[in-house]
Formats: sequence, C-alpha cells, structure tokens
Amino acid sequence: MIRLTNVSKTYAKSTSKAVDDLTLEIKDGEIFGFLGPNGAGKSTTIKMITGILSPDSGTIEVDGINLAENALRAKSLIGFVPDNHETYETLKGIEYLNFIGTMYSVETSLLKQRISEYAEMFSLTDALPNMISSYSHGMKQKLMVIAALIHEPKVWILDEPLTGLDPQSAFQLKQLMRKHADNGNTVFFSSHVIDVVEKVCDRIGIINRGRLVTVDTLDNIRKDDKVSLESLFLTITSDGSDAAK
Amino acid sequence: MKKFISLTKLLFVQQYRVKPTESKKRRGGTIATYIILAVCFAPMLVMIAIAMFGLGKLSQGLEEGGAGVCAMLIFMSQGAVLLFGIPTLISNVFTVKDADKLLFLPIRSSTVFTAKLTVAYLNEVITTAVMLVFMLLPFGIGYSAPVGYYLLLLLGLFLIPLLPMLIGSIIAIPLSALITKVGKNGVVKTILQTVMFFLIMAVYLFVMYELGFMDGSVEEDSTDIAQILLDKLQSVSVMVKYVHSNYTFANAMLATTFTVFIVNLLIAIAENVLLLGLVIAMALPFYHWMLTKSVEGGGSRRRKTAKSNLQVKNQGVVKELIFTDLKRITRESQIGFQSILSLIMLPVMVVIFYLAFGMSAGEEGKLIDVLKQFELYQIIAPLIFVTYMSMLGITSNIFGLYPISRENKSIYLVKSLPVSFNKYLLSKVILATAVMLISDFLTCLLIVILFGVKWYYGLAMLCVMAMLSFGGMCITTLVDLKSPKLGWTNFNQSLKNAKNSWIGLLIGLVTSLIVGIVGGLFVILWYFTKSGWYVLLIMWLAIIGVCVAFAFVCYKIMTKNAQKYFEAIEP
Repeated sequence: MIRLTNVSKTYAKSTSKAVDDLTLEIKDGEIFGFLGPNGAGKSTTIKMITGILSPDSGTIEVDGINLAENALRAKSLIGFVPDNHETYETLKGIEYLNFIGTMYSVETSLLKQRISEYAEMFSLTDALPNMISSYSHGMKQKLMVIAALIHEPKVWILDEPLTGLDPQSAFQLKQLMRKHADNGNTVFFSSHVIDVVEKVCDRIGIINRGRLVTVDTLDNIRKDDKVSLESLFLTITSDGSDAAK
Repeated sequence: MKKFISLTKLLFVQQYRVKPTESKKRRGGTIATYIILAVCFAPMLVMIAIAMFGLGKLSQGLEEGGAGVCAMLIFMSQGAVLLFGIPTLISNVFTVKDADKLLFLPIRSSTVFTAKLTVAYLNEVITTAVMLVFMLLPFGIGYSAPVGYYLLLLLGLFLIPLLPMLIGSIIAIPLSALITKVGKNGVVKTILQTVMFFLIMAVYLFVMYELGFMDGSVEEDSTDIAQILLDKLQSVSVMVKYVHSNYTFANAMLATTFTVFIVNLLIAIAENVLLLGLVIAMALPFYHWMLTKSVEGGGSRRRKTAKSNLQVKNQGVVKELIFTDLKRITRESQIGFQSILSLIMLPVMVVIFYLAFGMSAGEEGKLIDVLKQFELYQIIAPLIFVTYMSMLGITSNIFGLYPISRENKSIYLVKSLPVSFNKYLLSKVILATAVMLISDFLTCLLIVILFGVKWYYGLAMLCVMAMLSFGGMCITTLVDLKSPKLGWTNFNQSLKNAKNSWIGLLIGLVTSLIVGIVGGLFVILWYFTKSGWYVLLIMWLAIIGVCVAFAFVCYKIMTKNAQKYFEAIEP
C-alpha cells in the first residue's frame, strides 16, 4: 500500500509547485497507472515515493511505514525501475545485480536463484557478464526490471517501464506486474502509452500541473461507452482550450 | 562558417559550464574562493616574475643577445602547455564520444573536427597566456626589450601553442589508437594513460636535462654565481636554436633593426603555419578513422557467454559499496587516470626532488650528501617535506576530492536504496583514507630511503600527513556533498570548474602553514637554547597533536552536516 497525504514539492530553482497538495492511496493487490503530460509531476511524485526527493509538506507512507520517519525500512519494501537508466555503466550486469542484492540484504542463495530465474525470463543471461555500457536501451531496461524484483518488493514502482522493450519482454513484464499484484503487492507505474495503461491497470490517476485531477477505476471509466480513456486524458489535460471531442 | 562558430561556441561553453544556473550566493562564494587563492598564490607568482626579471637583466650580458634565453623560456612555456593540454586534446579531438549527437546534423565532419581542434587550441592559449604574463613579460622588462617584443607577445599567445599541439598530436594519436584497440577494458586504458603521462614527463625532463637546464654541474673553478649563470645561459642558447620556430620568433621579438624583425617574423609565422598544417594533416585522417570506429565498432564483439562467470554473492553493504566504487573508478578511464595519478604523485615528487638534489656540488660530491653533513638537516628536512607534502596531499587525492561528483547521476539510485547514509559515507571515507595511507606511506618510505631521514622522523611524518589528509578529505567530501558537479558527460571537464580542488588547495596551504609555524618555532627554540632532544620530541608531539585535533574537528564538521547536504541533492 502507498499513501500520499497532502504532498507538495517545489524545486529550488522554480517558483511553481511541481506537485501540489497530492493525496492518493494505492491499495494492496492493485495495479495503479499514473498518467499525465510531460512536466505534470509524475516523475517528481515517483522520486518522492522512492526517497530520492523530500517533499516540502505532507506525508508518504509505504505499507504503513512513514517514509520521513523510517526511510530505510520504507525503501527496503520498494522495487524501483527508473525511466532514465542512470546506472553504473562501468559495472557488469551481474556485478550490478550483486550490488543491488547486497543493498537490499538478499541472501546469496536466494539472490542466485532469482537472478537466474529473471535473467532467463528476459533472455538476459548471456549478457550479464558484459559491461552495462555495452547494453542496448532495452537490455538496460530489462536489467533495471530484474534489479527491482530480486528482493521481492512489497511495492513495485515503475517509471515508463515498457519503453524500449521487445514485444516478448513487454508481455512478460505485464504478466509479472499482474502476478505481483495478484500476490497482494502494490504496483504503481507511470506511462504515456494510454493503451497499455488501459490494458494493465485496475485504477488510474491523472496528474496535470502538479495537481491530481482524477482518480478512478477503469471499470467506472468504461461504463460510459462514448468516453475512452484517451479522450478523457486529453480533455482533462488540455485546460479546456483544445479539448478532445 | 556560421555552423563552425556555433559549434565551437557550444563545445567551449560545454567544457567550462556544468551548471549554467548557479545561484548568486553560490557564485559569490566561488568568486571569493578564487580571490583567496589568488592572494595565496600571488607571492609565488611574483617570485617567478622577479626571477624572470632578473634573468632578463642577466641576459643583457650575453654576447649573442637574449634571443636564445627568450627561446628557452618559450620552450619551457610550451612544455607546460603540452602537459596541461594533452588530456584536453585527447578528450576533445581524439576520443569520439559524441558521434551520435553530431553525425545526424547537417554539418560536415571536417567542420566538427575543426571546431574540436579549435576548442583544444583555445585551452592551450589560456595556459600560454598565464606563462606569458609570469615568464616572458617580466623577462622582457628586465631585458629592456624593444616595443616590438611586447607587441609580438600578443602574437605569441596564438603561435606558441602550435608546437605543443603538434607534439601532443604525435603522442595522442598512437595512444588513442591503442586505447581503441584494447576495447572496453577500462583498467587497461587507465594504466596505459598513466604510463603514457609519465613517459611524457620523463621525455620532457630528459630534453631539459640534455639542454642543460637541470644537470646542475658547475665548473669547479667558478666562484662568481653571475658568471656561472651566464655560462649556463650561453650553452642553453646554443641548444635551443634547434627548435627553430621558437628561435626565429624570439629573434623577431628582440630585434633592434626592422630588417631583422621582419625577416625573422615572416620565417616564424611560416614555420608555425607549417606546424599547424602538420597537425591538421595528421589529426584529420585519424579523426575520421576514429569516427568510423565509433560508429561501426558496435558493442557486441566481445560477448561473453559462459554462465560460469556469473558469480553471485552478498558480501556486506559497506564492503560492496567500497568495491563497487573502486571498480567504477578504475574502469572509467578519466576518473581512473586522475585517481592513480593522485596516488603516485607524491612518491614521484620525492623521486624528482631526489634527482634534483643529486646534482654535483664540486669536490664535496652530491648536493644531498653535503646537506646531510649539517647538524640541522635531520631536523629541518622532515619538517620541510611534511609541510610541502601535506599541502600537495590534500589537493591531489581525487578519491577524497570528488566522492559524490564522480557518482554522477547514479547518486539518485543510491538515494533510493535502503542503505543508511552513515554506511554510504563510511564507504567513501574508508576508500579515500586507504588510498591516502598507501600514498603517504610510500612517500615517507622514499624520503627515509632516498634522503636518509631517520626512520622515526619518517613515522612522525606519516602520522602528520595521514591526519592532515584525513581532515582535508572530510572537508572536501562535505564541499562535494554541498555542491556536487552532477550531470557531466566528461569527468575532466567537470573538474575544471569544480570548487573542491581549490578548497583542497586552500586547506593544504593553511595546514602546511600551521605545521610550518609550529615546527619552525620549536626549531628556533631548540637551536638558540641548545636544548636537548626532548624539545624535538615535544615539537613532533605538538605537531601531531595539532594535526589530530584538526582531523577530529574536520570529521565532526563533516558528520554534523553531511546527511543534510546529501538529502538536499536533487535532480
């Protein structure tokens, strides 16, 4: 479970709020899709949940643990797939996974088993002895996904996870997300690809200019046959000037 | 032309500006740091200028005039330009890392090459300007040079860097080709770069020695220092004629008749244009070759497939952090090169000092042997060494100067991990301290062996250097935490406007001053009161005590504020 209560954030070099009074709860067993145009505050929200940024006000709880009060315990419950692949390029894939496993205190035998399992699943086994700098965009993305899963996180946060993945791997990832949620965990992911969000998520939230403008289940959205998620998204984020028909 | 200017401007600005939006307060701090440094270094630069002024005066007595000495000074300046310029030349021109950013643009590759070469050249012009102001300008004043000399100094600003560029290209091309051949092995690259750097230094010293600047031998019957220097300058003047472009330019600078001036100037310009032509003729085809390699080389030719290579182990958080950091440092050739250089710089300096002090002192034998005979040698020599080395030690330790900046954007990954900041900081401190200790130990060992300093003084020096290095490292770590240079694409470029090294230099200056003053006072007391050995013991205890206190205070300052600064690091 992730709970954000009245969370706000303004960057040091900016006067406007990147995230403005955000209140949101994502339950266990749920895949939550976080949508919004560029610069809406999606990545800032994710960075606050993962502990990279500190909110100016408000509280963030991960599985009932207050991030500000017990950051390490809260972080140990999170598996994070960043969108920019800013990783240790001069490490080998296997060294990176060892590093992450150690940081999350995963026992060696368990680490070995999980690396082997996920590397096979994403066809990355052969590439693990190579430097990450030699990986393609998709391979780095797969490595990030594996790194986020090797400690079996209670909360899985993915920022644009499907970008660059081949169809097989994208399918595997979607299956994994579903399986993870069905096991009682929380999956929170942001994306620009509305079709994917529509197919995978149980509930969606749309953020625009730092404010959460709507949160609803896909079933509720689908009740109205005339309104698609895409048109809803375009209407909400267009500020009324060029609303989609 | 418009494209060329635009690209040159972009590359130049990119090199000197990592964070374009620096706050007014921070900018003020940076300016203040530079002012303090300028004040600290002013006496040294003034001394060089005075020495050059004296050299100018002395050169008036030369039979052949001062052109030879002037050419020698130009050549010495070129040595410095070469040494400082070669890393820029390699990273700008002969390492093609930005092909994917530029190749799709409607610009010819030769324009890109020219822009890159221009940026490298401008870097060398900046170094040349410093050398001109503190060497050639005071020399000219001392020599009472004609007006033409000063006018040609401006032209020299642009001509002098051309020879270092040619020599730099001759060195950099095979080095870059070799680095390309060894593929992605960062460790081999780092070792190659370091070996090459010391080879260049060795060749430079050898050339200086051959020219007669450093052999130190004097005529046994010579008693007049001025005469000895004049003889030396005379012999050097003959040797430097072989660097013809410098010699003709120096002749033009000091010419007293228009004919001599114009003839030499035209020859010098023609020779320098030829040098530029040679640089382009060598570098352009090589740049194209590197460009092709970088685009077509791909990253898949060294695929390993053996699953047995997959060693999985959990070895503890701090150990894992340290070893991951170390692997990344050694595999990233620029960081690795700087770090290894920092590790071996102090011991190498001791060896250079030893060579310099190994010069002949006439019938008495070597200068070092003469010095050893003095009663004060065993007391003063360790103090001088520890004062000098403690200043250099803090400045040179890349491990301690840029612990956060070298993480680059992956610092945000660290922030998302469930690892306490104390463990993270501990891993950085242990790594930097371990490296410093190795360097300090080697330095002290070499001082004991080469300079015959008593072992217990060596031990005391090690304590002092280790404590000062540790304290300095705490402060530079804190500075790096407060304002890390993140988002760099080229580590060397990020260092150019980083405050850390200047702060390190300042700390080094202050600590060496403290050690010098404390030690000096005790030595004066010991000498004039003819006290026993116990005064020297108290002296060393006092110095070590001051250094321990310094290290403790610095550590406390670091731990008090470090976490706050770490948490404030934002994308």
